[in-house]
Amino acid sequence: MELPVLNETPKSGCAASSCGSNDDQLNHLSEEIRAKVQNHPCYSEDAHHYFARMHVAVAPACNIQCHYCNRKYDCANESRPGVVSELLTPNQAVKKTMAVAANIPQMTVLGIAGPGDPLANPERTFETFRRLSEEAPDIKLCVSTNGLALPDAVEELSKHNIDHVTITINCVDPKVGAKIYPWIFWKNKRIKGEKAAKILIEQQQKGLEMLVAKGILVKVNSVLIPGVNDKHLAEVSRIVKEKGAFLHNVMPLIAEAEHGTFYGVMGQRGPTNDELQALQDECAGDMNMMRHCRQCRADAVGMLGEDRGDEFTLDKIEDMEIDYQAAMEKRKVIHQAIEAEMNSKRAAKLEVKAEKLNTRPVLMAVATSGQNVINVHFGHAKEFLIYEASPNGVRFISHRKVDQYCEGDTSCGDGESVLQRTIRTLEGCEAVLCSKIGYEPWEMLENAGITPNGEHAMENIEEAVMLVYNEMAMAGKLDEVKQRATA
Amino acid sequence: MSLKIIESCVNCFACEPVCPSKAIYEAKPHFLIDAKKCTECVGEFDEPQCASICPIEGAILDALGIAINPPGSLTGISPEKMAEAMAELQAH
Repeated sequence: MELPVLNETPKSGCAASSCGSNDDQLNHLSEEIRAKVQNHPCYSEDAHHYFARMHVAVAPACNIQCHYCNRKYDCANESRPGVVSELLTPNQAVKKTMAVAANIPQMTVLGIAGPGDPLANPERTFETFRRLSEEAPDIKLCVSTNGLALPDAVEELSKHNIDHVTITINCVDPKVGAKIYPWIFWKNKRIKGEKAAKILIEQQQKGLEMLVAKGILVKVNSVLIPGVNDKHLAEVSRIVKEKGAFLHNVMPLIAEAEHGTFYGVMGQRGPTNDELQALQDECAGDMNMMRHCRQCRADAVGMLGEDRGDEFTLDKIEDMEIDYQAAMEKRKVIHQAIEAEMNSKRAAKLEVKAEKLNTRPVLMAVATSGQNVINVHFGHAKEFLIYEASPNGVRFISHRKVDQYCEGDTSCGDGESVLQRTIRTLEGCEAVLCSKIGYEPWEMLENAGITPNGEHAMENIEEAVMLVYNEMAMAGKLDEVKQRATA
Repeated sequence: MSLKIIESCVNCFACEPVCPSKAIYEAKPHFLIDAKKCTECVGEFDEPQCASICPIEGAILDALGIAINPPGSLTGISPEKMAEAMAELQAH
């Protein structure tokens, strides 16, 4: 089956409805694809406000090395791909999945993402998928891979009803690849340098083509590494779209010396928020972009911004008695209610329009825990969603985490308070919308040039952002061109 | 004649399925090689398979006790650079 070609989106001035970056992201996809992703939090920006996902860490082995990864993956305090606390057997993974499904009914998606490469552990990965497709048929299954072993796995993947695959493609040029991948294990040999990167790239592209030919939805993840592939990713985006990938997720490099990764130790920096956004915007001319990725752990559980893995450790699930038939009934009712709510919100959405046409765009931060409303106290926010308001409408830009990846890390800034760090996270934003805010942060935010706003608690995010934008415009704050703050 | 896995092993399972002699087994605190079964892949492959996929420098030793993947050979981080980075972290 061939996937339909995606509509071209305009290169500039894209409003919320056409940009592939907000809740109307899927409007230009076929009905068939939309039905597949409408309750998938990792594939639909809208769905991620309502539905949860989980990863099971059954796949420890890897067949390549990436410079942003350290295979000593056992830190409980970190949240980044490749890190897990407990490795599971397929049997334990099935039990955990069913326990989570029964207790978090809005969990719709089970992914295998590591901590190594799922397809380098075919027996463990496919045993988990096979059993789940039989025992928990209401859960969507997906997998992410570096692509090296993908062509050999496509047939098996299609057997287990897996209709979402993510391939991490950081380059299509072996010269660039050699700076990202020090080696691969291929046909019984460790291969290094450009030769290794060339094989990996060929396998990724072949795997992508084979999945598309089978009608399996493919998302491509790329890690943005300044100075390494930043100039190259627009081409990657264009090529993978041409081959039929339906979503491109450009993620910032995470590199800290304490992670012990090559990039971390060598002092390779990650991109600034502006650099990431600029590249995503550049790619958006060609490709449907994903901007809500949280780069979660290979054992994450819950809504995208949260991790409830602690509630489902092996010793805890051991004591849980799960009646999955009953759970499935309950889940069905809840999923229908959520979908009804999503549809009614979509239908009832006020078309809040910008009132002045010549005002400049503004970034705003929003504290939310889901349901697409402003519902988190400023001081409780672990992350903020960043929206851009302009005369073209409101569009989702990214999320920014408040907590650093390693808590208690003194290198994050000498003596800097949590509040100061939070405010630094909001750099470039001119307003922050939350359900409530205390006096002290209020004052500090104002001093930092960010207007706190607690007037839109429980209101729809995009409507509130546009209302605040219009107020700023009417007050004459947006007439002159503001120098964009660079982080 | 046998290779050996030492304590720096992170239990990633990568070596176990690629061993042609089924000499590698899961154990606590880390994977081990059954010296009676290990052939160092002689006659089967040009390179010992476990050491060709192992991501951890120094975790697999040859029969003489020498690391097959010495520091710096896999990550590209030279031992000096690694020591320097670790010292800097300690200093904070």
